[in-house]
Amino acid sequence: MNLDFTDEERAFREEARTWLAEHLPTEERPPEGQAMREFDLAWQRTLYDGGWAGINWPVEYGGRGLSDIQQMIWYEEFARADPPFTLNNSCTFVGNNHGGPTLIVSGTEEQKDFHLPKILRGESVWCQGFSEPGAGSDLAALGCRAVVDGDELVVNGQKIWTSYAHVADYQELLVRTDPTAPKHKGISWVICDMTTPGIDIREITTMSHVNDFCEVFYDDVRIPLSNVVGQVNDGWRVTMTTLSFERGTAFMADQVELAAVVERLIAEARERTGPDGRRPAIQDDEIARRLATARAEVAALKAMTIAGISRTQRTGVPGPEGSMIRLFHGELHQRVYQLALDVIGAEALRLTPIDGEGNWTGPYLQSFAYTIGGGTTDIQRNIVGERVLGLPRVK
Amino acid sequence: MDLLPTPEQDEIVTSVRSVLADRHTLGEPLDDALWASAAEQGWFGLGVPEAQGGVGYSLVEEVLVFRELGRAGAPGPFLATVLAAHLAAGAEGTDAAAAAAAILAGESRVALVDRYDGEHLALLDGAHATLAFVAGDAPRLVRTADLGTVVEISGLDVLVPVGLVRADVVAAAPSVAVAADPQGIGRRAALLTAAYLAGVAEAVTEQSVAYGKDREQFGQPIGGFQAVKHRCADMATRAEVAVCEVFYAALAERDGRPDAGFHVHAARAVAARAAVENSQVNVQNHGGIGFTWEHTAHRYVTRARVLSNLWGSTADHLSALLDQPAAG
Repeated sequence: MNLDFTDEERAFREEARTWLAEHLPTEERPPEGQAMREFDLAWQRTLYDGGWAGINWPVEYGGRGLSDIQQMIWYEEFARADPPFTLNNSCTFVGNNHGGPTLIVSGTEEQKDFHLPKILRGESVWCQGFSEPGAGSDLAALGCRAVVDGDELVVNGQKIWTSYAHVADYQELLVRTDPTAPKHKGISWVICDMTTPGIDIREITTMSHVNDFCEVFYDDVRIPLSNVVGQVNDGWRVTMTTLSFERGTAFMADQVELAAVVERLIAEARERTGPDGRRPAIQDDEIARRLATARAEVAALKAMTIAGISRTQRTGVPGPEGSMIRLFHGELHQRVYQLALDVIGAEALRLTPIDGEGNWTGPYLQSFAYTIGGGTTDIQRNIVGERVLGLPRVK
Repeated sequence: MDLLPTPEQDEIVTSVRSVLADRHTLGEPLDDALWASAAEQGWFGLGVPEAQGGVGYSLVEEVLVFRELGRAGAPGPFLATVLAAHLAAGAEGTDAAAAAAAILAGESRVALVDRYDGEHLALLDGAHATLAFVAGDAPRLVRTADLGTVVEISGLDVLVPVGLVRADVVAAAPSVAVAADPQGIGRRAALLTAAYLAGVAEAVTEQSVAYGKDREQFGQPIGGFQAVKHRCADMATRAEVAVCEVFYAALAERDGRPDAGFHVHAARAVAARAAVENSQVNVQNHGGIGFTWEHTAHRYVTRARVLSNLWGSTADHLSALLDQPAAG
């Protein structure tokens, strides 16, 4: 048990800090469309050129093969550098944190050779095609149909809640390849080229005024069988791998960033007039207690993240305990922005963008996604109850 | 960087668990045999330097022991005794040295004197104690014989006897030893309390989970129902949050990091919340049987409530946390 960084880790931190000071963009991230895509990909290319892409990816696939601790250090330095955007909102998120890692574990050499360098170099945007109108929390009930025809799959159906589908090049797509098998046994995980004929993408505007949340329709979309990751009908196992990354390290950037957000909010509460109109907000007992609780909880979140890394270092894979981090983090993120709106008082009348320092109302609206996306907190509680605690499955 | 116990630390935990399993029954008062074993195993001087007669481990190992005491719901003046061992061993004078030796040998039990209503202070676990640890900004050790009249009151937790003593009498009581590092003692007190509370939070989670697997209604174990399962998931998460932050804070304090104070207050706050909420929900999860005296669920409820009022309330720790500079 120790909190010490190795010499190598300290040097890595110095290197990251110096590089970020020189290379972090200062302009605001465009909120939508191609300009946003170009901004995110340009940053990914800058990372790649600087040797900061795929920090914890294996060296043989173009990563740096460094530890999860170094990945965390990188996120800490990124947050410390006061970036004008958040990594979690980037359209490169799925490629870096889902698609790429899944291919590393389950993809063929051809799939890896083609896609992994593109993801790292900022040459492709990935999106996720998991949820459907009839398959949300019950993901395995998905019905988007794929029939084998020669050496191709022919896909018909619909996906929904697909962030950045409208600017994506590829999609991690779950399809039903055997409708007669039990629901977990007839699913395949395929790489879908988003330029394939028959794909229709419609944008959905979210309550946070963002329109990158899409629904995708497939009308006889032909995908080569060589794009199947893992085996046909083995997609559920591949999906579980993907989700274990999501519960493991994918949200580490956001967790680290949240500590910085709480400190910024405390600074604001010292400067702003509180609810009584006379004293600074921080002198209001209720606000003070909630701010202190948020401070304690983000500190504990970091400790949990480090404990999770320690566990992964011993066992090799992120354990189901990661679900507790996801659950705690999602609700904590929301509580922090709910508190922010109480701290800023009447300034909450003004809508802000979801990114950028000093913006609170946009991120508040966006925070509702944190207990829904990637498995609702109800599903996370099922996972904790069943896989961590061993309680009987829901009938 | 590693936040999980080392194999050597795991061995300490295993040995503490086995002593508690042999010499303690949840819901029973402190067994003299447990106290004797604790002294024999060096629990009271675990983090005291060898040069001062202790075992020479650190606060981290003490935290591991107090987490186990919390899990077991062990009553008795462990906390005040361990703190008194540090205070006396690190203080000047022959009285202090004699007190340290007697505490480490298990011969002197140490009661706790903490806040009550202003005019009075609360004396906890006073019955078999020869010494009392006076909590506060200037912690010190006094003789229980110098505390004047003790008015026994009914304790919320029947295994933590409470007596009231007059604050002015306590103030006039001569010191056996005075803390050389009052703030260090305060942080250790908060952290060991937090460790005990984290252990309580874990133990009641395990009680609820075991009951959820065993108890059947509507033809299935109740743990299959989301109403129960989700409460258990929340309990497990709060316990995990508490344990992780307690470990982090213990390491920060052991290593003298500048943000140690920040983390100790944070750990104390999240651990108290976890213990209080989890122990309360645990009663609910057990239904009627959980409301009975016979069942042990209420033991953890009252223990959590008592402990979260000692060494500063949770509100005090949150307030102190907000006054700290940001963590590094």
